[in-house]
Amino acid sequence: MNAKSIGIFGLLVALFLFMAFMTADPWYAVSDSTFLLSNNIENLLRRISMYGLLGIGVAFVIITGGIDLSVGSVVCLAGCLLGIFLQVDYNAADSFDVYRVNAADKTIILRGDASERFSRGDPIRLFQVRDPAVLTVQSAELVQLADETGKPTELGTLLSVEGELQRDDQSGTVARAFRISDYSPGSKLGENTDESGDTLEISQIPFQLHPRDRLILVHPTSKGLLEAHVAVATKEGDQTTAITTQPLNDTFATDWLAIPMKRQQRMPIPLAILSVLAITGCLGAVHGLLVTRARLQPFVVTLCGLLIYRGVSRWLVNDNPVGFGIEYQNTLSPLGSGKLPLIQWAGENGPQSFGIPYPFFVFIVVAVIAAIFLNLTIWGRYLLALGSNEEAARYSGIRTERITVLAYVIGTVAAGVGGMLFALDSGSISPSSFGNFFELYAIAAAVLGGCSLRGGEGSIFGVSAGTAVMMLLNNLILLLKIADRLEFTIIGLVILLGVFMDETVRRIAARRRAMKS
Amino acid sequence: MDDAPPPLLEVRQVSKRFPGVLALSEVSLTLGEGEVLAVIGENGAGKSTLMKILAGVQLPDSGTTLIDGRPVVLDSVKTALQSGIALIHQELNLAENLPVGANIYLGREPNRFGIIDRRQINADAQRVLQQIGLEIEATDALSDLSIGQRQLVEIAKAMSVNARVLIMDEPTSSLSAGEAEKLFEVVKDLRSKGVSIIYISHRLGEVSELADRVAVLRDGKNAGDLERKEIRHDNMVRLMVGRDISQFYARTSHPIGDVVLEVDRLRTPTWPAHPLSFSLRAGEIVGVAGLVGAGRTEMLRTIFGIDQPVSGHVKMDGTEIELDSPRSAIAAGIALVPEDRKLHGLVIDMTVRNNVSLAGLFKNRLRAGFLNRSVEKEDTQQMIRDLRIKTPNESQIVRFLSGGNQQKVVLGKWLAMKPRILLLDEPTRGIDVGAKQEIYQLMESLAEQGMAVLFVSSEMEEVIGMSDRAIVMHEGKITGELQRSELSEESIMQRATGNLNADESTVTT
Repeated sequence: MNAKSIGIFGLLVALFLFMAFMTADPWYAVSDSTFLLSNNIENLLRRISMYGLLGIGVAFVIITGGIDLSVGSVVCLAGCLLGIFLQVDYNAADSFDVYRVNAADKTIILRGDASERFSRGDPIRLFQVRDPAVLTVQSAELVQLADETGKPTELGTLLSVEGELQRDDQSGTVARAFRISDYSPGSKLGENTDESGDTLEISQIPFQLHPRDRLILVHPTSKGLLEAHVAVATKEGDQTTAITTQPLNDTFATDWLAIPMKRQQRMPIPLAILSVLAITGCLGAVHGLLVTRARLQPFVVTLCGLLIYRGVSRWLVNDNPVGFGIEYQNTLSPLGSGKLPLIQWAGENGPQSFGIPYPFFVFIVVAVIAAIFLNLTIWGRYLLALGSNEEAARYSGIRTERITVLAYVIGTVAAGVGGMLFALDSGSISPSSFGNFFELYAIAAAVLGGCSLRGGEGSIFGVSAGTAVMMLLNNLILLLKIADRLEFTIIGLVILLGVFMDETVRRIAARRRAMKS
Repeated sequence: MDDAPPPLLEVRQVSKRFPGVLALSEVSLTLGEGEVLAVIGENGAGKSTLMKILAGVQLPDSGTTLIDGRPVVLDSVKTALQSGIALIHQELNLAENLPVGANIYLGREPNRFGIIDRRQINADAQRVLQQIGLEIEATDALSDLSIGQRQLVEIAKAMSVNARVLIMDEPTSSLSAGEAEKLFEVVKDLRSKGVSIIYISHRLGEVSELADRVAVLRDGKNAGDLERKEIRHDNMVRLMVGRDISQFYARTSHPIGDVVLEVDRLRTPTWPAHPLSFSLRAGEIVGVAGLVGAGRTEMLRTIFGIDQPVSGHVKMDGTEIELDSPRSAIAAGIALVPEDRKLHGLVIDMTVRNNVSLAGLFKNRLRAGFLNRSVEKEDTQQMIRDLRIKTPNESQIVRFLSGGNQQKVVLGKWLAMKPRILLLDEPTRGIDVGAKQEIYQLMESLAEQGMAVLFVSSEMEEVIGMSDRAIVMHEGKITGELQRSELSEESIMQRATGNLNADESTVTT
């Protein structure tokens, strides 16, 4: 560990003690603004871990003497991509996308040609809208759909209906419509079981029912509508027995219809994660090649990356929020938002616990690998050498271009990992703002942690400590109720001070050393 | 003439202490009007400190400086300039993006309300340029000038403030022989106009040619002065080193082996019109002479795989080697000690150990890419012993070593790889006499062990003293190969300037 790392670590400890002291309230055992509150510490650890990943990534690029400004946008893109890859759709067989609902005219336009499927008198239901009335089809005719400019796009089906249509819906594909008569009634509602919800027997299911599929239960004549997730499904002959994950409403009776909806997850979780990592890695490779082969300046290349990936993210999801909802609450989401509980106790407002947030484990693993790579392998040595003097490294037979590209790949992959964790933690992200300014946090942490923007210098420990200092400051501003308008100002001043001290210490040390020799 | 009292410039018992080191200890110096005084000494002898004091960059701790017999305090560069003393730095301090005239008047532009008077600059600059006999226009872009011309622009800059004393710090270190010759003419011309010159150089040949008097510094003290008639190579070396160096170029005769390296019609990207062919034998030291810009460095770079050849082959022991990257050359057993060690040779902020081990790291694939620190340490310690690198330990940052020791670190990096062919580009540039001699001894002992050594040098003495054979280049072409017995300044110079064809010279004259 070098002097710089010790310096930043000292600052970290001092700041920690300062905060613990400043926010400790002598009159109450626990107050909302106590720094040492378990919730606060957990959140702090979580944020340090996630921002730390970005800092480590950008440190590799900075060590080459380059810079990566695209971190925030890569974070956003990774989050959006993960959301897209893990998007879950529930589809009933023989149902149709709703293109538009017009409550005044009592018309529904469906996508595609379904005029043959619906005839006068058919009872239909919309679902995925809060308008669960049973409607009766008056007529069905084929129409030509057009975009805003009037250019024809696709075929649609115009249904005139009778019944209570309360809400206009112009948004497009949020709802689906199906013909009630296509489905069979849930034949019997079984008893409650202890672990999960109710047992349901259904016949004539158009597809094999799997756990985590959904059931929509509708009443053929009234407004009644229930949704339930399937926990277990077994099949005997024509009869499927499904156990739902929650108890169903008492009003449920056998004449209700059970409409099974198939759960369609675009990708398995591991494939989705690997895809995000591969895509972000490719972006880094492109950055690296543009810097080494096309000899463009890293600042320009990654600045363009910042703009491009932000735009691509927004375009990919049509500027809509991307969420993971409850779909992954027991599988992937805890990786971002969960914790490993260590201590539990009874607090004033119910049971309390303290645990290590899972992102912290990801961070530790990545940090240890990064530190080993940088300090103990020849490639780490090459990286430090080429960052300090690229020409001398090349004259020593080092393939500097490859190592540089590798550094940019590490940078974006780390941002990809961070981005996925951030997205999982927040559950829902908005592509226009998610990850904004994260590159500056990452660069600031790296610089605070002893990376020189001239290249050739940097330690993983320092960057981690630098991130922690940044996050502590951020927390301090929150807890001491300093106006958060000043947040950036305070962080900026502290970084300036840190770098100034570092430069001064370095100069004094160099002079002393020069005198000695 | 010599005893014209009082001298133009006199330094009396000047001392300067930096914490931990006494850089100058009661050094005295006199300089008469129109005199060229050469100040020589090994690196660290105190030459630069003394010059910085004279140029007003640093203040002495004690001692006095007198101009025309009157004591002066040179507390800033400005005062020094006002007193008529101008220092021309070793590294040129010119703005490449500005024209010549603007460079000459940089920082003191004649102006009217802040608007620069270009016409006056150009007129004045042109006059100064004429005065020193430099045939360029004041409006020429500096970037179009050769290094030699730029050096002269620096002199013009000094002359434009009517400097009476010009301090020139290693002015020829990056000049070709022709350019240096031009510079000497200017120096002699200035002398005849009454300008005094303090000339610092490692090149004793130049000193013999130019100096009226030589002041030798050693370890921050006056080691002795030499009058014009005493200025001889051996005298200077004796005073500088403090002992006799009877055999400066350490050549012994040893058998020369088979051809190891064959360069066959190699065409470099810089001089694609001229295919280069020559061979190198085991145990042979071959010098490559020529003017700066003759394509010698480019040839080494191409053999080493840094520049990709346009065409041609390089064979080692009869088998062709790839020229795609330094890695291939290194794997084949070729090493290159580049001309500019700070730029190309060293990662100057890394330790001695990390520098010495850098080139060989790729060989430890057996350890799955993990560093083997104990081996690194042992190898480095061996190199420190073998090459007598003066460093407190192997963890010292290279920046804090002297030039000669830095050069030894570069050599150590390659010798640790046990190469079969050693390419050296200006191996003794900017290092002091003692370290030079050590490097010559090293070259000799490596050749004796069977290594083939190819070295590029702009110092004629070095090529003549060290080479078994010399290759002479001119404008990208090999214009001659000379055996040891044929080596002389004249024979090399003729070929280096391209004047080897007697017929042509009769036609042109």
